[in-house]
Amino acid sequence: MSRKIKVVPRYGSNIKDKLYLPAIYQGMKVTFKHLMANVADSNAIETLEYPEEQPSDITQRYRGLHRLTHREDESIACVACFMCATACPARCIFIEAVEREDGRDEKMPKRFAIDTLECVFCGYCVEACPCDAIRMDTGIFSLIGSSREDFVLEKEQLLAHKGAFGEEKSCARK
Amino acid sequence: MSQIEIVIDEKKYAAQEGLLLIDLLIREGLKVPYFCYHEALGADGNCRMCMVEIEGQKRPQIACDTNIKEGMIVRTKGQMIESVRRRILELELINHPVDCAICDQAGECKLQDFYMDYGLYDSKIDQAEKVHHKKHIDLGSNVMLDQERCVLCARCTRFTSDITKTHELGIVGRGDHARVTTMPGKKLDNPYAMNVVDLCPVGALTSKDFRFAQRVWFLTSTPSVCHGCAKGCNIFIDHNKEKYKDERIYRFRPRPNADVNGYFICDAGRLSYKELQENRQLEMLIDGMVSKEDEAVACYHKLVADGGKIVILADANLYTEELEAIQKYAHILGAQLCAPLESYRDESFGDDWLKSSQRAANAKGVEKLGIAQILSTDPVALLINFNHPDGSKIKAQKSIHLQTHQMEGKADLVLPLAPFSESSGTLVNEDGIEQFCPKAIWRNEPLMSAIEWIDLLQGGER
Repeated sequence: MSRKIKVVPRYGSNIKDKLYLPAIYQGMKVTFKHLMANVADSNAIETLEYPEEQPSDITQRYRGLHRLTHREDESIACVACFMCATACPARCIFIEAVEREDGRDEKMPKRFAIDTLECVFCGYCVEACPCDAIRMDTGIFSLIGSSREDFVLEKEQLLAHKGAFGEEKSCARK
Repeated sequence: MSQIEIVIDEKKYAAQEGLLLIDLLIREGLKVPYFCYHEALGADGNCRMCMVEIEGQKRPQIACDTNIKEGMIVRTKGQMIESVRRRILELELINHPVDCAICDQAGECKLQDFYMDYGLYDSKIDQAEKVHHKKHIDLGSNVMLDQERCVLCARCTRFTSDITKTHELGIVGRGDHARVTTMPGKKLDNPYAMNVVDLCPVGALTSKDFRFAQRVWFLTSTPSVCHGCAKGCNIFIDHNKEKYKDERIYRFRPRPNADVNGYFICDAGRLSYKELQENRQLEMLIDGMVSKEDEAVACYHKLVADGGKIVILADANLYTEELEAIQKYAHILGAQLCAPLESYRDESFGDDWLKSSQRAANAKGVEKLGIAQILSTDPVALLINFNHPDGSKIKAQKSIHLQTHQMEGKADLVLPLAPFSESSGTLVNEDGIEQFCPKAIWRNEPLMSAIEWIDLLQGGER
């Protein structure tokens, strides 16, 4: 297979670029423009008074806290294939597999935990999942706890999280 | 048989006339896909994957059933041969359930490998149209069968008919309905049964013992030698250190060695990794109380200084280097060294293939070093036991046990010893073959080997 290669020209070899001063001037122009505008009318600055005011711009593509999806019969969709744990760059997904007894597939997780303190919220686990069993569409962006252990989300907690955008069930495991 | 030259992919290779073409391809590392051929089982010619082009022949030929002839010109690459392989693979995969996500073979599966090498087509068959068979059947002897994943290469049935001669497995039915099975009500039952798991190129036969324990791509394989008996079968120790946990062994696999074990190991040896990890002696004990290293060393020196006749017992499973060190140490102490081999004999274990009745892995090493095997009957003042199983049977006023596993009986001082997987050394098997075992397991809190203990006890640094 031939790789698609895009050749990007190397910038910065002419005198104007090497001097840096024109670029610094351009940057400072933008900074001062905003400074002047904000000093002139401080009420027009766009701010969000969090937490009283909650963000309204969280879309379906936002990578929030993880959840484990269900099948149509409310059982867990995950088959413990470890694809998410393999793809995870932070190695923060801890799975223990066990035999599944209800006749749907053979394997399921006995333990499925995500250490959200280690998680970098890259979304690779969601990309890697062949069963649409893990998603980050909960829209939850803040998690509160009083100890480190509180941030290790176990299977039950992950299953309890609801999808924020209508799609509740796994699309790949019926 | 005479030495001849043949041409494969425009390169010349020297080979013996009459040798199977596939053997040459495998030996020279030329890529050739195959399911049914196996060096230990020979050619069966049923999977048709190893097709090569031979000049002068109308159709592609299977390399596993072609003998090398003078002047042969073979091609293993090219559009034509690759399209043939792709179509054969498509046929093999036609009823395959493609449940790689839950299949333990994923990662070491020939179907996956060949699909990535030659397949990469879109499936023409819908899951619902596929012929279904029974899944997760417990065949006995720790073997699980999934009839849907099978490619009918017949390696397992040939193993039970040609090698163990127990004939448990067979293929019944024709066409789409052909499947591997046992006779009704019969189980797979022989001491080498789990080798079919390694033989199976796909996920049809998997180990019940290893089932769902780990995905194979997390495992690291370290070559070693089985310590189950004096045969010294070559193995791979497959281990993994999970995050925040200690390193663990998940399975033993046979490592091919034509001089010792061929391609197989016995089930007892394969499962011996469990015993290795259970019931481990991890703490230093003075009179049964957990103690620190400096206290234990002080206690050791006090016991040795008390005087009287010292006897050192050495386990015949220790590496030759360790036995040598113990031998030297015994000389320095003026102690009597002894390694009774009779205690390891188990006549019910041995057979005429890979199982030996002498269950000590380095029994020959003990003999070679000339270590005494019979203990004199004089009263013993102090016994220093390096993991010998008879440690508690010998009557001594005081005793020091260096042991890998917890043992019955009382000792004045117990020191933990690293088992074979956590140190390195050489073993001599019963046929006199010396084999080196590198260190496989690196514990978070490493235990000391016999050599390291002797160093420390003689005043060296840890």
